[in-house]
Amino acid sequence: MKDLKAWLGIGLTAAAIGAAVLAPWLVPHDPMQADFVQSLRPPGSPGHLLGTDQLGRDLLARVLYGARLALFIGVCTVLLTALFGGLLGLVAGFVERWPSAVLMRIADVQLSFPFILLAMTINAIVGLGLQNIILSLSAAGWVVYARVVRGEVLSVKQRDYVQAAAALGMSRSRLLFRHVLPNVAPSIIVVASLQFSSFIVAEAAISFLGFGIQPPTPAWGSMLSESRDFLYVAWWLAAFPGAALALTALGVNLLGDWLRDTLDPKLRV
Amino acid sequence: MRAYVLSRLAQTALVVFLSLTAVFAMVRLSGDPVLLFMPMDIQAKDVNEFRARLGFNDPLAVQYARFVGGAVRGDFGESLRYQRDALGLVLERLPATFLLAGTALLLTLFVAVPLGIVSAVRRNTLLDHVGTVATVLGQATPGFWLGLMLIYLFSVQLRWLPTGGTGTVAHLIMPSVVLAAFFSARIARLTRSAVLEVLGEEYILTARAKGLGEGRVIGKHTLRNSAIPIVTLAGLEAGQILGGAVITETIFAWPGLGRLTVQALLNRDFPVVLAAVFFISVMYTLVNLVVDLLYGWLDPRIRLR
Repeated sequence: MKDLKAWLGIGLTAAAIGAAVLAPWLVPHDPMQADFVQSLRPPGSPGHLLGTDQLGRDLLARVLYGARLALFIGVCTVLLTALFGGLLGLVAGFVERWPSAVLMRIADVQLSFPFILLAMTINAIVGLGLQNIILSLSAAGWVVYARVVRGEVLSVKQRDYVQAAAALGMSRSRLLFRHVLPNVAPSIIVVASLQFSSFIVAEAAISFLGFGIQPPTPAWGSMLSESRDFLYVAWWLAAFPGAALALTALGVNLLGDWLRDTLDPKLRV
Repeated sequence: MRAYVLSRLAQTALVVFLSLTAVFAMVRLSGDPVLLFMPMDIQAKDVNEFRARLGFNDPLAVQYARFVGGAVRGDFGESLRYQRDALGLVLERLPATFLLAGTALLLTLFVAVPLGIVSAVRRNTLLDHVGTVATVLGQATPGFWLGLMLIYLFSVQLRWLPTGGTGTVAHLIMPSVVLAAFFSARIARLTRSAVLEVLGEEYILTARAKGLGEGRVIGKHTLRNSAIPIVTLAGLEAGQILGGAVITETIFAWPGLGRLTVQALLNRDFPVVLAAVFFISVMYTLVNLVVDLLYGWLDPRIRLR
């Protein structure tokens, strides 16, 4: 059962990455090219495996290019939050003076607000588009890393080998990056993998609500948002982008669970 | 105990104040809400008059002081769109959100917790495997997609349920199921692992060894001891349900706080945004306080300070 889940996770994630990388070679159509003669064709129409949308754009092409956008946003956000949140947590756990207390209060304030609503509010204020959605998700999401990493650092720095290295006169920065960081790294990786899917789902939700990525860019969230107007006549416009999002999230979740069980079984996020 | 509650309430006030300040700062630094709100053919002097009336011409510090002064009295200003008191608009929407979130939370507790318990007690049976698959799928399925698919099935195809709106019990079914789905998955999963952990404890072995019936072993010894992680997560999730409500209310045109917030953000109607932020962060922190108080009741070993 466990192996099955891990393999399913690896398979689905690999499929999503494959779709993202190989999109131009997998479908001949341009995801933005409208063709009004061919509009709202159902799945299985000649030349359009998943059908077409209201402007006659090929749905398969749009779903595959959507994978590109979703994974790009997920990777950027996870890297940004892991870097900044991780670094802040590392310092907050290691220094333990007032900057640490201030940082944790900021974290408390952020956590007093639902994540999706926070990211959406920030996005509505800073503006729409790819860069801003990545920024908004990162600004809302760094807290988790800061908390987890700080907690880990607090426990790791009590260990004998860190104390011994400090007693030998090792400089603080060397101590932090040579002895503490490598021992905290597994939890950073686990949190990153578990956060990844919540970031791509949040991006889709925010774009669905009318912020974030705007049409005609083929993002899964904005495609689903447009599909609402055609639900009575074209179910496929809602079904396939959402299924792609759900399967990607499922794959990354399973992969994350497996990483946690292997690297850091006690971690709770 | 009383001192603890008082200090937590003071902390809540501080957190709410800080989050309002943060939103106020972001809103004021992000551009001119007035220009975005005016018709295209307006004269410059009318814009200026409107700005002066709403106080946007004053220095930022003065605006902030006025905002804080108003906020403590519950006055967040007038909605730019509806020309009405922003707080009143938010209060009007609260009952609908409470109804939706409450139904979803009850649904979660009555479905997810029993499912988790049965999965743990009947570990590795068919039922456990089906439950595991359902929770894994439930966690990965985005609520807004589930909502669209349910609308397609039950409203477009079968014509059993209305696509959106409010008024009857039929209107409540799909939104609350969608809102509950995601949370149920997480809570069922956690309940299963919490119950499994307790079932491995020695006092359970003792209880069984002294001939206690299985009903009492599970019902009394196991459940009470596995309640803490479940209550913790349920509390955290109760807050996140507000976030989920934003999306669910938009899909099903449910006239609640979440939909109001989305529309206010889209319209850049910032007095309403600030009033909504205020209510959401107050509710969220109060739910967490109630959860912390529940710990003391569930596990008397925990002392609240």
